[in-house]
Amino acid sequence: MNLFPTIVTAEARPRRRGRSRLLIAAAGATVALCAVAAQAAENRKEAKLEIAPGGNVTIVNNSGSVALRSAFGRQVLVAYTTHSDKIEVDQNSTADKQRIELRSHTLAGQKPTADEAKVDFEITVPPGVSVNVTTVSAPVTAEGLSGDLSLSSESGQISVHNVAKSHLHIRSMNAPVSLTGVTGTHVDIQSSGGAVHMSNVTGPRVAVGTTNGNIDYRGDCSGGGDYVLTTHSGEIDMWLPPSASVDLSARSRTGSVENEFPLEAKIHPTFPPAQGRSFAGTSNSGSSSVELQSFSGKIRVKKQ
Amino acid sequence: MNCQQFQEVLPYIIETGGKPEEEQHLETCASCAALVDELRYIAEQAKLLLPMYDPSPRVWNNIEQSLHREGLLLPEGRMSRLGHITKTPIQTKNWTPLGWAFALTAVIAFAAVLTNYRPRQLPQDQSLAQNIAADPATTMNGDDQQLISQLAQADPDARGVYENSLREVNSYISDAQQAAKQDPDDPAAREFLLEAYQQKEMLYQMATARSLP
Repeated sequence: MNLFPTIVTAEARPRRRGRSRLLIAAAGATVALCAVAAQAAENRKEAKLEIAPGGNVTIVNNSGSVALRSAFGRQVLVAYTTHSDKIEVDQNSTADKQRIELRSHTLAGQKPTADEAKVDFEITVPPGVSVNVTTVSAPVTAEGLSGDLSLSSESGQISVHNVAKSHLHIRSMNAPVSLTGVTGTHVDIQSSGGAVHMSNVTGPRVAVGTTNGNIDYRGDCSGGGDYVLTTHSGEIDMWLPPSASVDLSARSRTGSVENEFPLEAKIHPTFPPAQGRSFAGTSNSGSSSVELQSFSGKIRVKKQ
Repeated sequence: MNCQQFQEVLPYIIETGGKPEEEQHLETCASCAALVDELRYIAEQAKLLLPMYDPSPRVWNNIEQSLHREGLLLPEGRMSRLGHITKTPIQTKNWTPLGWAFALTAVIAFAAVLTNYRPRQLPQDQSLAQNIAADPATTMNGDDQQLISQLAQADPDARGVYENSLREVNSYISDAQQAAKQDPDDPAAREFLLEAYQQKEMLYQMATARSLP
């Protein structure tokens, strides 16, 4: 049995030609991939910037994305990827290292398309550093930060996860806002038309106001704080666990209210109860104050 | 000008005639126009009531003679028992208690219509269309328009989004103002108003930041 034939038969020749074509195609693809990677590497930039304790990082980025994370140390790690040469990022740091500013902008005379104008930021900040982000359509994600956060976007989704003992100030025009695992934090959210979703959000004060955006809250409103959710024509949904200790009132001026959560009626309500338009009561010791107010929208309180 | 603002100045309009902006509102708002027609009709009818029920001088003379006969009225026109009522020239005017009663009724009716009037409930679509066309609560004032104009120069695509948001928030402000007016002692009504203005402030800040070079 000839295991290593050295004579190429007439049938084997076309097979070898096909193999070599395959090799050439693979080599071409590899070169193309390398070129793309090289191009991507050119558009991606990274920097490590010193920041003083309690300093501030400001990011202004119209489109693309902004992702914030926390890490130990005294440096802000900045990485960003531009999607064209028509846009650039200005990076400024003050001499006292109190303030870092990153601002993307179109180069003079350039008119980038929507895709070309995008810049994706990935920023890691030390604990206790406050961050301000302003975008138009870029979504903003903040994970595990402990400094004060001020996030603003017209239409880019704003997501905040696992933030503790901080101040969180969010402004949105039509952007949905999502908060998960935000504890012991002063929360102030203003949203015109964007929906606001909160899950396990607690703090000394949690205030949410929308014009027509819906608001929903899942959690126990713990911590003895003030929880004030207000909307003009949006709907408010709240899911509370039986362990929730709340002094709750809900009013809709021209809309309706529904309650499926067991509450003890208050002896001295602060407003005259109106069937289908308002209710008030306490659960457990009523340690946190919860006010739900809608002008014309519906309010529902349910057991989680 | 919206319906509420128009109805606040309605008594002056009936009395002295309207300004151009009030006339413009009347042309666009069927319910306010109907209200004005009704009030004008009541006012005209009230004027007719007085002479219609005013008795002739003969009735006055007969009453006077009867009072003389019964000794209730002295020759010089004093009431004999009460002694302090004098028939003065003003009483000779053609105004009678009946006429006064009718006039008073007309005034009360006028006031009742004004205070209790609520615009007719239009079908939702029609109502919405009318509000958008004529109600400044859902339109934009001069500042809003200036803001939108500056914004559109910087980014034309943003115009529509901001216009819609401003209309929504203006509607919020209008509703909150009415609520605060209706229930001035209700803290929730005042909170709505504060909240509505905060929403508008936010939009202005965002738009201003956008329109800056």
